[in-house]
Amino acid sequence: MFEIVSFLVLLVVGYAFGSLAERRHYRSIQKLEIEFNSIPAIASRYPPVDKAYQQQLVVGNVVIASDYFKSFLAGLVNFFGGAVVSYESLLDRARREALLRMKKQARAVGADYVFNIKYETTSVGSGRLASIEVLAYGTALTPSGISIPANPGS
Amino acid sequence: MLVSNLEILPNRKIEAHLGLVQGSSVRSKHVGRDIMAGMKNIFGGELKGYTELLQDSRQEAMQRMLKQAESMGANAVLNVRFSTSSITSGAAEIYVYGTAVKLDDAQNHAAGTNQVTTHV
Amino acid sequence: MRYENRQSPEGINVTEHNPVAHLLKLLAAAVVIIVLVVVLANLFASRLGRLIPFRYEQALMQHVTYDFSGAGSESVAMQEYLNTLVQRLSPLLEVPEDIELNLHHNPDGVFNAYATFGGNIVFYNGLLGQLPHENALAMVVAHEISHVLHRDPVAGLGGGLASMAALMALTGSTGAGAVGNLLNKTGMVAQMKFSRDMERAADRAALSAVNQLYGHVNGADELFKVLYQLSGATAEQETTFDAFMATHPLHQERIDAIAQWAAENGWSTAGEITPLPENYYDWL
Repeated sequence: MFEIVSFLVLLVVGYAFGSLAERRHYRSIQKLEIEFNSIPAIASRYPPVDKAYQQQLVVGNVVIASDYFKSFLAGLVNFFGGAVVSYESLLDRARREALLRMKKQARAVGADYVFNIKYETTSVGSGRLASIEVLAYGTALTPSGISIPANPGS
Repeated sequence: MLVSNLEILPNRKIEAHLGLVQGSSVRSKHVGRDIMAGMKNIFGGELKGYTELLQDSRQEAMQRMLKQAESMGANAVLNVRFSTSSITSGAAEIYVYGTAVKLDDAQNHAAGTNQVTTHV
Repeated sequence: MRYENRQSPEGINVTEHNPVAHLLKLLAAAVVIIVLVVVLANLFASRLGRLIPFRYEQALMQHVTYDFSGAGSESVAMQEYLNTLVQRLSPLLEVPEDIELNLHHNPDGVFNAYATFGGNIVFYNGLLGQLPHENALAMVVAHEISHVLHRDPVAGLGGGLASMAALMALTGSTGAGAVGNLLNKTGMVAQMKFSRDMERAADRAALSAVNQLYGHVNGADELFKVLYQLSGATAEQETTFDAFMATHPLHQERIDAIAQWAAENGWSTAGEITPLPENYYDWL
């Protein structure tokens, strides 16, 4: 009896706090995406040759934990197989957040673009507690002549 | 040291490829963070402790790679890639690798620069 | 070349869905599947188990000895008395010739009696000492004999093993997490239903035999009344939740069922109570 009650409490708490955190995160992501839209992130390996650019590696990472509700739902889907839709938003948020953090570094070095964007996704949770890290990195292209500050992003 | 994940520097000439350089760092999260992470796994949200831990770990791996590059006499590492693997639950290996190259003297090129530093 | 980042609309990589409805739908489907599979596995295996000839059970148990001496009580007299009860009840329960019943008296204070493979029935002092009259004891003895007749030990084992295997095969991929735990519990609950059904069937057969033996069923529900009191439970405490999780039906339910069967069959619930032998409590 106690087991069932504590399980239901976890489920409800996980759902309430998890969806609250998700809504808040999406609002922040959407705001920052508009803000950083001036620095295009390009997946091409070939930098533009219109003018001279300095190159510099920029990175952004984030670790996001799933909530209890999402994890339980994912486990349930695992029983049947099929699309684990409850984790889609988790991964989406992490990828976009990591890219934004990368762009933040790029802005700090006065970059016009970030080229050759790469993503790395790793599950860092212990056991079946799903937490994922997404790393986004690329090469910031700063027009030559702008001096790069010593410690961007910090 | 110039660090980039591109392979082309339009205004610079690569004098020599000096070989693969790599840096690695394995870190495990500590107990305090683990407990916090356990809590977060109920409520959801960012695990800031882990984010920073992995940042530190990447920094260390990068420093090691740069140390290798320096010892080879390189002044740039190109085509840099990261790789992350969770080895056991609780420990992650960060691996970074790239090509160490010797670029020509930047002063010869109006467009070039040699004041590039790396910040990860 | 112009480089820009255009914003793509939301909802392309993230499926719009109602998570709560999604969860409830999946949960309902999973529970239905688990219950269905456990029920089918149980039905199949318990039926299969009952097909095993009784002599195989006996052969299996022939090397098992029930030696409860050590308490040094006069358990021989108790054993003899229990045996006479069995002999009186056997024809009423229509025990076939090939089924041989072996009674054992265990001087332990455990409040229990059980029937196991090979027609072995064990009575504990804890239970025997709580019974106020022979009618109550006859009901218990007849109940355990009915288990043997219904081949419940082997059917229960077969059904239990089959549903375990089915559960493991089904929930193996979900593992020991919350989901696996929940589904396994669901399977257990479904499994318990079979155990309770066996108990009900044994109660029913026993009541009929007791009625034939004494001409009435007065006092047959005494055991459950005693159990009910011992459990210290009030009617409110025995909830529907407990009923789903238990191997046996609730005591009150069994008492009510006895009254109902008696009414249905026109068995008298009033009649003279047969006392236990004079020295009965010394034999414990």
